[in-house]
Amino acid sequence: MATTYPSPDSTAPSARTGTELLVLLAAMTPEQLESVLANLTASFPEESLLIASPVAMPTDSIPFLRFVVAPAATPSWTLTAADFVSAYQLADKYKARAILMLGSQSGSLASSAICTLANAVLTTPTDLAVPCYELPPHAGLVNSSIIYPLTRALFASRVRFPLAVDLSLSLRMAERLAGAAHRFTAMNQGEAPLWPVNEAAAAGFSIDQFDVGPRVQPQPGGPDLNTILPLVTGSLFSDIDAKAAFWQRNRPLPPARNAMSMPPAPATDAAAEIAPMLQAFRLAYTNLQEIWSLVLPPNSLLGLKRLAATDAAAFRMPESLWARIVFDFLLAYRLRTINRGHLLGALIPLYLAWVASHINITASGTNPESHIEAVAAAFEAEKPHLISRWRWPDRFNP
Amino acid sequence: MKKLASASDPLWYKDAIIYELHVRAFSDSNGDGIGDFPGLLSRLDYLQGLGVTCIWLLPFFPSPLRDDGYDIANYVDVNPAYGTLDDFKSFLDAAHQRNMQVLIELVINHTSDQHPWFKAARLAPPGSPAREMYVWSNTDHLYKDAGIIFTDTEKSNWTWDETARAYYWHRFFSHQPDLNFDNPMVMEEVLKAMRFWLDMGVDALRMDAIPYLVERDGTSCENLPETHRVIKKIRAAIDAEYANRLILAEANEAPADVRPYFGDGDECHMAFNFPLMPRIYMALHQEDRLPITDIMAQMPAIPANCQWGLFLRNHDELTLALVSEEERDYMHIAYSNDPRMRVNGGIRRRLAPLVDNNRRRIELLNSLLLSFPGTPILYYGDEIGMGDNIYLGDRNSVRTPMQWNSDRNAGFSKCDPARLYLPIIMDPIYGYQAINVEAQLSDSSSLLHWTRNMIALRKLFQVFGRGTVSFLNPANHKILAYLRDLDRGDGSHETVLCVANLSRFAQPVSLDLADHTGAEPVEMLGYVPFPTITEAAYVLTLAPYSFLWLELQPSHGNPTS
Repeated sequence: MATTYPSPDSTAPSARTGTELLVLLAAMTPEQLESVLANLTASFPEESLLIASPVAMPTDSIPFLRFVVAPAATPSWTLTAADFVSAYQLADKYKARAILMLGSQSGSLASSAICTLANAVLTTPTDLAVPCYELPPHAGLVNSSIIYPLTRALFASRVRFPLAVDLSLSLRMAERLAGAAHRFTAMNQGEAPLWPVNEAAAAGFSIDQFDVGPRVQPQPGGPDLNTILPLVTGSLFSDIDAKAAFWQRNRPLPPARNAMSMPPAPATDAAAEIAPMLQAFRLAYTNLQEIWSLVLPPNSLLGLKRLAATDAAAFRMPESLWARIVFDFLLAYRLRTINRGHLLGALIPLYLAWVASHINITASGTNPESHIEAVAAAFEAEKPHLISRWRWPDRFNP
Repeated sequence: MKKLASASDPLWYKDAIIYELHVRAFSDSNGDGIGDFPGLLSRLDYLQGLGVTCIWLLPFFPSPLRDDGYDIANYVDVNPAYGTLDDFKSFLDAAHQRNMQVLIELVINHTSDQHPWFKAARLAPPGSPAREMYVWSNTDHLYKDAGIIFTDTEKSNWTWDETARAYYWHRFFSHQPDLNFDNPMVMEEVLKAMRFWLDMGVDALRMDAIPYLVERDGTSCENLPETHRVIKKIRAAIDAEYANRLILAEANEAPADVRPYFGDGDECHMAFNFPLMPRIYMALHQEDRLPITDIMAQMPAIPANCQWGLFLRNHDELTLALVSEEERDYMHIAYSNDPRMRVNGGIRRRLAPLVDNNRRRIELLNSLLLSFPGTPILYYGDEIGMGDNIYLGDRNSVRTPMQWNSDRNAGFSKCDPARLYLPIIMDPIYGYQAINVEAQLSDSSSLLHWTRNMIALRKLFQVFGRGTVSFLNPANHKILAYLRDLDRGDGSHETVLCVANLSRFAQPVSLDLADHTGAEPVEMLGYVPFPTITEAAYVLTLAPYSFLWLELQPSHGNPTS
């Protein structure tokens, strides 16, 4: 495999007999680092660990812990292609048996959570262990509205956070991800996100997820939805396009796990919260009709027309409508119906409409997770709509 | 420097969609009336959008062009009319960037009589290595059992050369002297030419006319053991020096004679399925599956790393060399009632005119092309239903410029129409103003869109390129039904039931699918679930010329395998 970045190290590999667990850490403050290392050494013998980090290590405080300097990656709110290339290169070099990747602000993860994730790939046949975070209400809604339901419907995985910033990987999983990542790093796109759950599903590898409790989520550098949503959906849509031959097979969904304990939505002034979202949606309904009509079939456009005329208090986007909207945007992305940037931009006001609907629904007492599960179920139910349109993308359809 | 293979899977050709085109006919960038590599490069996005994964280029080497480039005068250069070597490299890189492989011609049976080797041979003393690059004789009675291929133009396979004071052997036109593979220098030169292109990154080679490489008296001079030894040497050289490359054999022979060209997986990776092609047309016109099932029953098993190349039409005439005299008569009457439609015993027409421009027939034939065991090869222009011009000589009837739009010269060239290498099709039915890419791209119901969708659908199912085939035997002979099956290697199977109505009228059919009891057929184009298969006969009704592809999905606890 080509080396994307040089990886200087302070430990000669020949001196090692093989590492059990390579821990690849994101750049973090010394305090966070200390917390993570304390958590790790509380769960694993120091000699079984190899810590890779782009920043200098406090070697004096934990003398028996081995360190290696990881390639400096651009700080990111998610794991990137460059991270996966580095992970595999280091694991291969130091003969690690498994890899634990901990993203920014992983110091907020409980020690037991780290231990659970790592042990999954060390002591069980799991290839990919993914955390299930406990997030505050209304957090991670791009994931809840698009990433999770799409991944669940298409890749038959119930992983709740497919773009988790912490993961543990078997060596073969790491190799596969590095292969996928190499396509991006070869084009100097090392910051591109990757989709480990999709890769694992396509490879037939085993996936497991574990409740890890709360975690401070790293935030994107710019909190601009206009940047983040197209970035994430564009990357996910491309990956789905590349794996079409896989997900168009009928695969059973694994049994539902116990519902995540999500705190109920706090009593807030939903009307005030959703007002700007509805304003954006209604403005877009006026301005983006031309684009939407290139992407969406008549029934969806009719549904949006009804929504645009609905009062804020009664604003509810039907789950099936949202599922079809996302599927039709995915299809238009594949077909390049319009410029992909413009296309994904045109999805933003629709996403805001979904968020407004979600806030309204949860404000009325519905548990947020129940609503998200209902949305995911709608994606599964509408999957035939996507497949039929994917295979026969005729605009003459209902 | 030797370039690495563009394909990562050694069996890439099994999943490929091959598109055959002539650089000359595709797109002209410099307004000289002749297509060229920069023009072709500018159309790569179109081919990628169509779903093509491998581009087969007809000969583009320096040549007097007396046989459309199959008379090569220099194996290691580009005909200046089509561009330069750098233009070719740019095209190759651009194709690879789009994940498309490139297949070129390795025409080694013969050269042009304008090739420097032949010019030198004529002057060289008899028996010298230079002279022996070709096959000479003092008499034209040698190899009398070898047939003549171009019966419309050639009376003998020998031609007297006044300079050499001897006859030279040519299995094709008299201006195409055959190389002499009994001379080791010939093999050396052939390998040099091959390495020249493979080093550059070319992915695949079509070996033209390979049954005729070696001659022996008292034989038909076809398919000789010595010929297979030549092919094995070429293959061994490729395997030793390159990864993931392909040799495609052009051997217009009966099934039993084509099979040896695969060897034990150590000769050609692919061979055209010549015997099948005319039977598809015959079955369609007779509205009877027998011609197809009969020839398929004769198809020998081939090594696991080998593949058939399937085609409906190509740059040559629709060859009838492999059918009986009666069948040939039938095909002539059915498909070429005007004698101008025939050449060399075959039929020089394009796909759409062959089936009277009937959209459903075109779709049906393409459905067979895309679902029979093998790799489909599309001929340029057939994806939009281009027509032919039977008033042009030889096989030029099907080699007219690609029709891109309704502008001057069909968007093929900006030149004065009189400069075009061949005239554009201009009749009211197939003319460029009615049939062109631009119009069909803007029409979502066009044949182009249909073809694109079907190609995309096929690419989703590896079973079509890699699976086995077994024919069903329903009582209604107007129905052709077969199962494609691929063992995925993990205990599961990918199974597809294909049912085609060869008739112009609606037809019922009862299929025995008891082996798949419990499976749930899902119609693949629309993802429509059909009734679950039971032990009872599975009854379907098909509209005229319609076809169904049904994926047999395992039901819960009852896998189709």
